[in-house]
Amino acid sequence: MNETIAALAGTGASIDVQGISKRYRDTTALDDVSLQVKAGEFITLLGASGSGKSTLLNIIAGFIEPTSGRIEVAGKDITTVPPYKRDLGMVFQHYALFPHMDVWENVAFPLRRRKVARAEVERQVRQALDVVELGRLAKRRPSELSGGQQQRVALARAIVFRPRALLMDEPLGALDKRLREQLQLEIKRLHSELGTTFVFVTHDQEEALAMSDRIAVLRDGALVQVGTPEELYERPSSRYTAEFLGESNIFTGHHRGARFIDATTKADLAVGETGDCAGALVLRPEHAHLAAPGSDIPIGHNVLNGVVRDVIYLGSGLRVEVTLPDGRAIVSRPAARGRYTPEPGTGVLVHWHAERALVVPDHPSVAP
Amino acid sequence: MTSRRIVRGLLGALVGLTALYLVAPVFIVVPMSFSDSQFLKFPPTSWSTRWFESYFGDDEWIASTLASIQIGVLVTIASVVLGTLAALGMVRGNYPLRGAVAGLVLAPVLVPYVIIGLAVYAMFLQFGLTETTLGFVLIHTALAVPYVVINVSAALFSFDRRLELAAMNLGAGPVSAFLRITLPIIAPSMITGALFAFITSFDEVVTAVFLSGPDLTTLPAKMWSGVRVQIDPTVAAVSSMLLLVTLALFSGAGITRFVRSRSGARRNPGTAEPDTVRQTQ
Ligand SMILES: Nc1ncnc2c1ncn2[C@@H]1O[C@H](COP(=O)(O)OP(=O)(O)O)[C@@H](O)[C@H]1O
Ligand SMILES: [Mg+2]
Repeated sequence: MNETIAALAGTGASIDVQGISKRYRDTTALDDVSLQVKAGEFITLLGASGSGKSTLLNIIAGFIEPTSGRIEVAGKDITTVPPYKRDLGMVFQHYALFPHMDVWENVAFPLRRRKVARAEVERQVRQALDVVELGRLAKRRPSELSGGQQQRVALARAIVFRPRALLMDEPLGALDKRLREQLQLEIKRLHSELGTTFVFVTHDQEEALAMSDRIAVLRDGALVQVGTPEELYERPSSRYTAEFLGESNIFTGHHRGARFIDATTKADLAVGETGDCAGALVLRPEHAHLAAPGSDIPIGHNVLNGVVRDVIYLGSGLRVEVTLPDGRAIVSRPAARGRYTPEPGTGVLVHWHAERALVVPDHPSVAP
Repeated sequence: MTSRRIVRGLLGALVGLTALYLVAPVFIVVPMSFSDSQFLKFPPTSWSTRWFESYFGDDEWIASTLASIQIGVLVTIASVVLGTLAALGMVRGNYPLRGAVAGLVLAPVLVPYVIIGLAVYAMFLQFGLTETTLGFVLIHTALAVPYVVINVSAALFSFDRRLELAAMNLGAGPVSAFLRITLPIIAPSMITGALFAFITSFDEVVTAVFLSGPDLTTLPAKMWSGVRVQIDPTVAAVSSMLLLVTLALFSGAGITRFVRSRSGARRNPGTAEPDTVRQTQ
């Protein structure tokens, strides 16, 4: 198994996206996007529907011509190179398998276009099908396969010619949850064993967090932030990233010195960093602790009064929704069997360490 | 329940009567062609195969049959090529007056054949194209192209263009992607279009009557004059043979399709193995 994968392994190429813009008559699909993808990296383009992910991927693949900007692969400008000379593999969301060819012929297609010798085609197709464990279905037509099997064929077809990078546009979007999680693991395994550069597109933040070396967050055609999953989760540079990745409690207000003044309640909260700007306070649910009214609160913690509205048992812990006096809700995720057991309808203290909450300015300086 | 059965029975009877009404007159020619009479007569009073002998023994009948086949084949080739290119231009092109171009290409279906025949006759006389294979091929191609265009453009509309993108991503140039992916997928529609094109030409009387003469007469034009000038029962014999050929062709096509759909059903997506099977094997 590992030997077959090793046979297909290649060295991935770096991809350098330089100031790419794409304008249509009345929309700007991409606005001056720059992104350096390292050789062998697994990078995910994450963003809501319409944020420009597919447009960027299709520009890299060569299907769409950018309005301005350059694309370099392995240090060479390929902006005007046609797609069939780019040597980049692509996996489409709806598989795009050739319906009139069987699995074997689909996977052999890129090798035949490269005039690979017959015996060699035979050997490499066999290897690629073994990697995705579909060797025994080689004679089937795509219409005779399940969604997951079709996606595996598409993967085999995209890796069989050892492309310089693998581009994937929401490849798991059409599959059900269980299958999606299984294929996530397989794609990750493929990445680590092939060593090729992967550019993966998804709108699913959990998928992005689970799979990527780095994530590039897109919003309305602009790059909002690029970083490792930890960086994006722990230090979002904007309210958008904070809300998009994981669950968060957000207060809008003003950052003044080491304090944050909530706009609606004028509550004065301690924060770790100093600053002076309009912004949002981001508090992750796992950092929001709960305590019975009147109990001692550790030094350096902010405290808010509230009423428990809802308690959900999640197995690994609880998800508790607390209503603040002004009507807003705060979500907390305490351990299942802590010292304090929240009861719906009773008063509660929500507290967190000042360092654990993060202030993001409304108008962040341009993301790196 | 029983009222439903009655309705079904009545519907069935209606369908049967309609079919009989549409098809029965066609089969009247069969007994007529085996008649011994000098005249077209139904029902025949005595039987013979003399009208079939008359057909095979007559150079003119054979010549016009061969001419029709030759013209039909040439028209089929020309209109499949032109019609497919036109459909590509109409579905994928992006240029002003696209709708007008489509209207122009499809116009021969709408304009009465008599008008076309008259106009073409007047023009072809000047160029010496009457009674020539080229003349017939030209006008029949114009009449047949719309059927190819209609069939092929329907296929192109439903064709998923991402397949072409995928092919190019995998290393196929635009021409190779078209020949290896697009063409095989739209081929069944091209074949249907080809069948329509051949029949349009082989079957065409109106312009053929205008363009035919001693030098070149197609089979339908010859049959027409056979009935009009001197009532010749050979026409019935020819009709019977054409009927036989048509039946054979269509049942052949029908059987092929039936067999193919059966084998398709056997290997249907519904029977595809679930993904979990993979792990157990
Ligand atoms: N061919 C096109 N013509 C006009 N607008 C387009 C075209 N393709 C994409 N867009 C617009 O560009 C934006 C980005 O699209 P896309 O890259 O497909 O987003 P995503 O893949 O993130 O959902 C959207 O607003 C979309 O409507
Ligand atoms: Mg998309």
